[in-house]
Amino acid sequence: MSELFTLPVLLGILYSGIRLATPYLYAAIGETFAQRSGVYNLGVEGIMLMGAYTAFYVASISGDLWLGLGAAAGVGAMLGLLMAFVSVTLRAEQGISGIGLHLFGLGLSTLLFKTTLGGVTSISGFQPVRIPFLADIPLLGDALFNHNLLVYVAFLLVPVANWVINDTTLGLKIRAVGQNPAAADSLGVSVGKIRYLTVTVGGVFAGIAGASLSIALINLFQENMTNGQGFIAVALVYFGGWRPWGVLGGAMLFSLVNALQLWIQVAGIELESDIAVMLPYLLTIVALAVAVRRAQQPAALSKPFERGEA
Amino acid sequence: MNTSARTPLRELKMVDIVKRFPGVLANDGVNFDVRAGEVHALLGENGAGKSTLMRQLYGLYKPDSGQIIIDGQPRVFQSPADAIHAGVGMIHQHFMLVSSLTVAENVALGLASTRGPRLDLDRVAERIRGLAERYGLKVDPSAVVWQLSVGEQQRVEILKALYRGASLLVLDEPTAVLTPQEAQELFVTLRQMADDGHALIFISHKLHEVLALSHRVTVLRDGRLVGTYPTAEMTRADLARLMVGREVLLQYDRPPAQPGETRLQIDGLWAIGDRGVDAVRDFSLTVRAGEVVGLAGVSGNGQRELAEVLTGLRQPSRGKVTLNGRDVTHASPAERIAAGQCAIPEERMRTGVIKDFSVLENAILCDHSHRPFSRNTVLNFGEIAAHTRRLIADYAVKTPTAETPIKNLSGGNIQKLILARELCRKPTVIIAAQPTRGVDIGASEYIHHRLLEQRAAGTATLLISEDLDEIRALSDRIAVIFEGRLMGVVDAATATAESLGLMMAGTRQTE
Amino acid sequence: MNTFSTRIRWAAAAALLLAACAPAAAPTSAPVPTAEPQIIEVTRVVAGTPEVQVITATPPPAAPAETFRVAIVMPSSTTDMAFSQSMYEGLLAVQREMGGEGAMEIAYSEGMFSVPDAAAALRDYASQGYDLVIAHGSQYGTSLAQLAPEFPETSFAWGTALDTFQAQGVTNVFAYQAEAQQGGYVLGTIAALMSESGVIGISGPVEAGDAKLYVDGFKFGAESAKAGTKVNVSYTGSFSDVSLMAAAAETHVAAGADMLTGSSQSVVGAIGVAKDQGAYWFGTQWEQTFLAPEAVVASQVYDWTGIIKDMIASHQAGVLGGKSYTLTFKNGGLVIA
Ligand SMILES: Nc1ncnc2c1ncn2[C@@H]1O[C@H](COP(=O)(O)OP(=O)(O)OP(=O)(O)O)[C@@H](O)[C@H]1O
Ligand SMILES: [Mg+2]
Repeated sequence: MSELFTLPVLLGILYSGIRLATPYLYAAIGETFAQRSGVYNLGVEGIMLMGAYTAFYVASISGDLWLGLGAAAGVGAMLGLLMAFVSVTLRAEQGISGIGLHLFGLGLSTLLFKTTLGGVTSISGFQPVRIPFLADIPLLGDALFNHNLLVYVAFLLVPVANWVINDTTLGLKIRAVGQNPAAADSLGVSVGKIRYLTVTVGGVFAGIAGASLSIALINLFQENMTNGQGFIAVALVYFGGWRPWGVLGGAMLFSLVNALQLWIQVAGIELESDIAVMLPYLLTIVALAVAVRRAQQPAALSKPFERGEA
Repeated sequence: MNTSARTPLRELKMVDIVKRFPGVLANDGVNFDVRAGEVHALLGENGAGKSTLMRQLYGLYKPDSGQIIIDGQPRVFQSPADAIHAGVGMIHQHFMLVSSLTVAENVALGLASTRGPRLDLDRVAERIRGLAERYGLKVDPSAVVWQLSVGEQQRVEILKALYRGASLLVLDEPTAVLTPQEAQELFVTLRQMADDGHALIFISHKLHEVLALSHRVTVLRDGRLVGTYPTAEMTRADLARLMVGREVLLQYDRPPAQPGETRLQIDGLWAIGDRGVDAVRDFSLTVRAGEVVGLAGVSGNGQRELAEVLTGLRQPSRGKVTLNGRDVTHASPAERIAAGQCAIPEERMRTGVIKDFSVLENAILCDHSHRPFSRNTVLNFGEIAAHTRRLIADYAVKTPTAETPIKNLSGGNIQKLILARELCRKPTVIIAAQPTRGVDIGASEYIHHRLLEQRAAGTATLLISEDLDEIRALSDRIAVIFEGRLMGVVDAATATAESLGLMMAGTRQTE
Repeated sequence: MNTFSTRIRWAAAAALLLAACAPAAAPTSAPVPTAEPQIIEVTRVVAGTPEVQVITATPPPAAPAETFRVAIVMPSSTTDMAFSQSMYEGLLAVQREMGGEGAMEIAYSEGMFSVPDAAAALRDYASQGYDLVIAHGSQYGTSLAQLAPEFPETSFAWGTALDTFQAQGVTNVFAYQAEAQQGGYVLGTIAALMSESGVIGISGPVEAGDAKLYVDGFKFGAESAKAGTKVNVSYTGSFSDVSLMAAAAETHVAAGADMLTGSSQSVVGAIGVAKDQGAYWFGTQWEQTFLAPEAVVASQVYDWTGIIKDMIASHQAGVLGGKSYTLTFKNGGLVIA
């Protein structure tokens, strides 16, 4: 045990935890916007896959990582729009359409991967950027301030999202539309427009979440490489009580425990590997059960809106 | 935020408005107008088309034909946003508030901020205080809406409209949910607004309110305009006759009660309310066969929780309830029904009906598993349809067909159907909570007659109501509840409005 | 409202739990762990069941009059740089040797993570009259045991496993196994001798099947080659979690490892880590050099061609099943590239 809790190891866990949390943050913050406005998008995983593929393909063809990132955001926006169209305009059952979107993203990214890339290749992704001064802080500096750009942006997204949701007129509309769309509608707020906006923004972030894997963290594309992270991101939104800071807490808890369990195994501590890999999930569930707090679940979550129903 | 800079409207006209729903002609060539500085009352039975007419004025529905003309200009409202922009505000029959947001947030929703994308709730709160002061609309801008009383929530609705610079305000049955005191406060506000040059449209089923508040009154019947009259020239009886199309008895003849054995007995009952504190405290009461016991009280004093305990929807924490000699303290709703009790619930949309089910399905909600409606779990649709048609005819429920989803019926007609369903079971005990809230006078009269018929047949009735007139017209004895406690039980024949009012305000009956 | 949100929270918790279980419940290349302890020794072929056949060099099957038809169902994709690709490329090699598509037809279904879907695909192929139907994943075994007796004319094969279901009276099933510990041992020896830090990191997917054989062989090889070599082992619990595999490799490097290895299709992320961090990588199942030529030292490659050829020859000779094969260095089924 003593070997595990040395300072360098703890810092290593922090470093890995931050990296692992990055895609979850993008995807879950995006989903938070959608759910706060009342749309439940289960298709995040599919959008992430398309984002990961697009970013990788465009970046490796053009040699421009930014172009790849932009393309991933664009594809994310398009898939978000598609989800919005199905769930807002067509008023389809949201859980089902989300699963459809996931399967669509999984199938299409696999097909495109096969036809355009053929097999796994790697590229040189976004490189770590040492932040001057901050990275020189003794001990913590390297673990916190020596990451690639997409990692920093993911963490900056949390206060920004929190500000947008709680302190802006747009955020007020989003919250109102998710709680009582009829009331928002009666004040001239367009429920449809707001939901289109949030679901599309959620799609953009899901696309970037995928890109963060394929061109910043792992730097390759493989079919189904997100491996369920999009679904975990949706669960993290619930875990975080629909609040960006709560989502950050959940993402970090989950990722840190994941990094920790790897260290436990590497350090040779006697623990069945099957149990070790379950740790992050178990701990998250326990935290969920222990932290009994009043959730701000949007009252209209997953309910399509139609004017005129009292 | 130039919301109030707009020139206020002087006159609004609705011309030849026609609005059709599947199977219903809700508005049939209606003409209606309202001017700045007046309160114009809109009267009509349940389902007459009042709410429908107003919803078109607010851009929620589009008229099939007809025009809306503001100060001589024809206007088309595609959505509420257009109506708000033209200076129209509406207080809906069901409140349109986001309960998880604060008062200031509800008011600011959808409006531009003086700080660009950032909310300026502090300034909004400041303006709200100004408006609140002017019109006597006391409310804390930073309070979260779900914590507010119904009266306060209504004030928020009015503030929302005023804040947007509404110069025409539509109030759809604003007093249905208010205590008499709150209604009086509302009238003060509305008069002040009219004096300030606002135009007000006021819908109510309570004729004395219409007479006290309005300058003109328009009556609708079955979607058609009956006429528009200066209020000063009308009497209660006139208005009732115009609405219903026949003379309406506003008084009932009741033979003296012949109370029999005790049917419902409540002993030292305690129950915890939604907020986690005791809502019913040490409450005892008996109701005997052949009598109506009225339970009066200002809303929110434990009546709802008491009714829920008595119908099996809420578990009491202490005490005992006996029904026809059987201990039913912890019995389920089904056991109580089987023991001969029926209930007319307060929240009819939530606990009285399933709103997406048809009239027919709702009519047999409780009895669907018995003969003749079903045999070995298979529903007998022929029998059910015949039964439903009987109920619809007997109780004059206005519905296009028996297959119409019940949510498309007007409030009063839903209430009639519930009553029809409950009373045809020949109950021995009736728990009636607010049986005529939001119900027009014709239907109220009808419901009252049915309840008195039950009394004559020997049924024991507990009538829970916030409408003192109703309580006094129907009850043999009147019990008063305050903060969950029984303040006393008085003989209805000798009770005065003053003594009841004192008890409702928390003074114990002194003997 | 309150109880509803509580329920949602539990649903979310359950979703997390499910996500945790899913990879373990659908292993892509893990055989059912055999009861016998595996003795790890390079020079001896380990006998799993009495009827192990060791194939040394089979001549190409006699060119048949009509096209020989092979169908295969695989858990991952034909380009996974691991388990599925090794078998698919083996089939293509045999096809070339036999004279192209006219002589041998190959049909495949890939990405069959779901066992019921795979079972349906297997049935389809069998009923379409394919001569040899391969269920390339030990998780398909149960379905295959039910299916095979219904199509007595068809040969079936599955792996990695050693059980041909003869005990259940099934006669038309072949089984195949890879003695992955052999290459593991060799690569582990090299790694220990190359390592400057004396620390080696191994990350496996799930602690079972040929992945476990490989990991154990590697560890044993490294520890035997140089006394004092420290071998750290971790598992990610998933065959497809690229992120976690990469994080595992990072953790090993942080723990001082300069030689890394791992198994399953998810190692591609870990190879990238080796490259970025200046560590060396040892591959298994498929040739992984080209992903990072400067970092990949060597790979143990599965060469299934000998086994495939023998199965075809047996089928043509009227023996539709009953044999268990193992890939070893000795029979040329395992190759260090
Ligand atoms: N959305 C709708 N779809 C179908 N029918 C409707 C709809 N809204 C109202 N109706 C019907 O139109 C008629 C008029 O209803 P409306 O709600 O305007 O009555 P009202 O005068 O407001 O009655 P109340 O006093 O009970 O509120 C009723 O017969 C009602 O059933
Ligand atoms: Mg109405």
